[in-house]
Amino acid sequence: MYRYDEFDEGLVRQRARQFRGQVERRLAGELPEEHFKPLRLQNGVYLQLHAYMLRVAIPYGQLDGAKLRGLAEIADRYDKRYGHFTTRQNIQFNWIRLEDMPEVLDRLADFGMHAIQTSGNCIRNVTSDPFAGAGADEVEDPRPWCEIIRQWSTFHPEFSHLPRKFKIAVSGGGHDRAAIRVHDIGLDLKRNSEGEIGFEVICGGGLGRTPHVGVTVREWISKPDLLSYLEAIMRVYNRHGRRDNKYKARIKILVNELGEAGFRKLVEEEFAAQHESEKVVLPQTEINRIEAYFAPPVFDAALPTSEIFDAARKTDKSLDRWARHNVRPHKIPGYASILVSLKPLGAPPGDATSDQMRAIADIADRYAGGDIRVAHEQDLVLTHVRLDDVPSVFAALQAAGLATANGGLITDIIACPGLDYCNLANARSISVANSIQEAFSDPNLEDLIGRLHLNISGCINACGHHHVGHIGILGVDKKGEEFYQVLFGGRADERAAIGEIAGPGLRHEDIAPALKRVVERYLVLRSSPEETFIDTLERLGQAPFREALYGAS
Amino acid sequence: MSSERPKLGPDIPKAITGWNSRTGRVIYLTADRNWSESLSEACVMTGDEAQEALRFASTDQVRVSDPYFMQVTQDGLISGRETLRETIRARGPTNHPMFGKQGGDL
Ligand code: HEM
Ligand code: SF4
Repeated sequence: MYRYDEFDEGLVRQRARQFRGQVERRLAGELPEEHFKPLRLQNGVYLQLHAYMLRVAIPYGQLDGAKLRGLAEIADRYDKRYGHFTTRQNIQFNWIRLEDMPEVLDRLADFGMHAIQTSGNCIRNVTSDPFAGAGADEVEDPRPWCEIIRQWSTFHPEFSHLPRKFKIAVSGGGHDRAAIRVHDIGLDLKRNSEGEIGFEVICGGGLGRTPHVGVTVREWISKPDLLSYLEAIMRVYNRHGRRDNKYKARIKILVNELGEAGFRKLVEEEFAAQHESEKVVLPQTEINRIEAYFAPPVFDAALPTSEIFDAARKTDKSLDRWARHNVRPHKIPGYASILVSLKPLGAPPGDATSDQMRAIADIADRYAGGDIRVAHEQDLVLTHVRLDDVPSVFAALQAAGLATANGGLITDIIACPGLDYCNLANARSISVANSIQEAFSDPNLEDLIGRLHLNISGCINACGHHHVGHIGILGVDKKGEEFYQVLFGGRADERAAIGEIAGPGLRHEDIAPALKRVVERYLVLRSSPEETFIDTLERLGQAPFREALYGAS
Repeated sequence: MSSERPKLGPDIPKAITGWNSRTGRVIYLTADRNWSESLSEACVMTGDEAQEALRFASTDQVRVSDPYFMQVTQDGLISGRETLRETIRARGPTNHPMFGKQGGDL
């Protein structure tokens, strides 16, 4: 696993020292808020509805027991004993005082964490598949490449004043669990016709007020050429991206304005014109060095199946149900990855208390080699667990209130903080999520429905990925009242699509009953229990679901 | 993006709110030009008096960040189209009483 190395240590300490000075000057009245704001944002400090908020980077969602315990300590000492995991695999603290911030950054540095590049017009935290290195379907572990990109982009002078923020995601080549097609750049590890592993390069995806699915700019680029190719894209963006209008500044707008072919031509020209001396050469030794950080743990030569686990499933119905939804296949026989749902009914999606963080850290250290990931669905993953240990892990999670059996189901809702916390919000997200969870709280009903992704954002910025939920919900404000638009047909995987708005917004209290009608319609219309909601929707179009939504029977 | 607050005509009663620069807590301008975490102590103003108070607030940067007008009734109760937002700011998140002001600070 990647260890915070000498590269970070110096930089991070220096940044924390600088920020301490800036906070002191702000509080002494020597630095007006107007000048301080860009400085605090560079350190992940926002001013939200109730308080300052700190966004801490979790590169590609990778945590270990010590880091998670450290985050729990921050939550205890400086916040209200909880934190919020986000769709970009980071964590946010909602109540930290500005005067405590420098100390918090110092503490974070003590256990190898920081808040760099979590805000501002730079290359943000590189995100990835939470099952990276374990997924049975991956071509290769994408994390070394996330790390290489992180090191290349951190404080890169050419890319610290981009027209707008820039988000990169890397997937290991199997099923896309990193939403790479809705990122500014998405990379997918794949083999070319000679069998050599490189990357497909996708560009111009994004959500927000103008959602786009990215286009493939390059079918394949070799590993040594990757960074040079990314530089070519960034240069085209830096040169042609709009800086006059914040809403038109993302690379997706540029790709759309130039057209796929036009954009590709500029990038390819820029790439071809790079002088040898300008190329970012990535020697194999360096690739090897970073790959070594991610060397897989030593797996026991376990049996492909586990009698202990199988027997426990037979006697314990709740374990069996949880295992069906939250235990995922692992590439090593005898192992599994476990999705720890942070979506218990009635709680804010993605929140974890400090006690829960410590419980997960302990479970991970004992049973999962300390390897913990944050999933963009705002859940956590224990990456490598022996099948024999799954019943014990389940029991320990249960004791900590973390065994909600809803991975990938309709109550495993992605939701942004919305109007309960966010200064930009139009409407609440959390309470709508909770009302929907309540409506679908019957486990038998949820099992019957099967896979259904429901995503909620409290405004058009789309932090809750509403465009790419099978069902998306967008909070809008109508003369001071909360309304919610429903979208159908979005998806974030390799067949990424932007959902379509069904029609006029609904009131807060009408959303859950309306979705109940939609889902009942789906259960009637599906061709078989195996046909998922999104498949039925794609087969029939949205008309019958729209009808159900607005109540026509 | 709705980080901009709606414009309020001169005759609409208003209070001034912002965030305590040091702690980030929601605060309100009081009649003696101090700041309070309690909405009930907010000074209700209109017209030039309100404009003058906002000018003062904007220069009081050590104590307050990003002050703005919020609509209230003559009696100082939250009103207008941002009622829900300001109620949440005044009381804390609706989802988790124990995390808001209701739960006490830290
Ligand atoms: C609480 C403070 C937050 C602020 C001020 C904020 C602000 C924004 C803004 C302005 C955008 C639109 C950017 C654009 O289109 O150029 C955006 C997009 C986004 N934010 Fe947030 N956000 C916040 C919280 C979050 C949280 C909690 C999450 C995760 C749950 C998140 C994840 C994202 C994602 C994934 C996008 C996707 C749209 C894209 O960039 O393509 N943000 N945010
Ligand atoms: S989508 Fe809007 S309401 Fe939700 S966190 Fe993002 S900016 Fe805030």
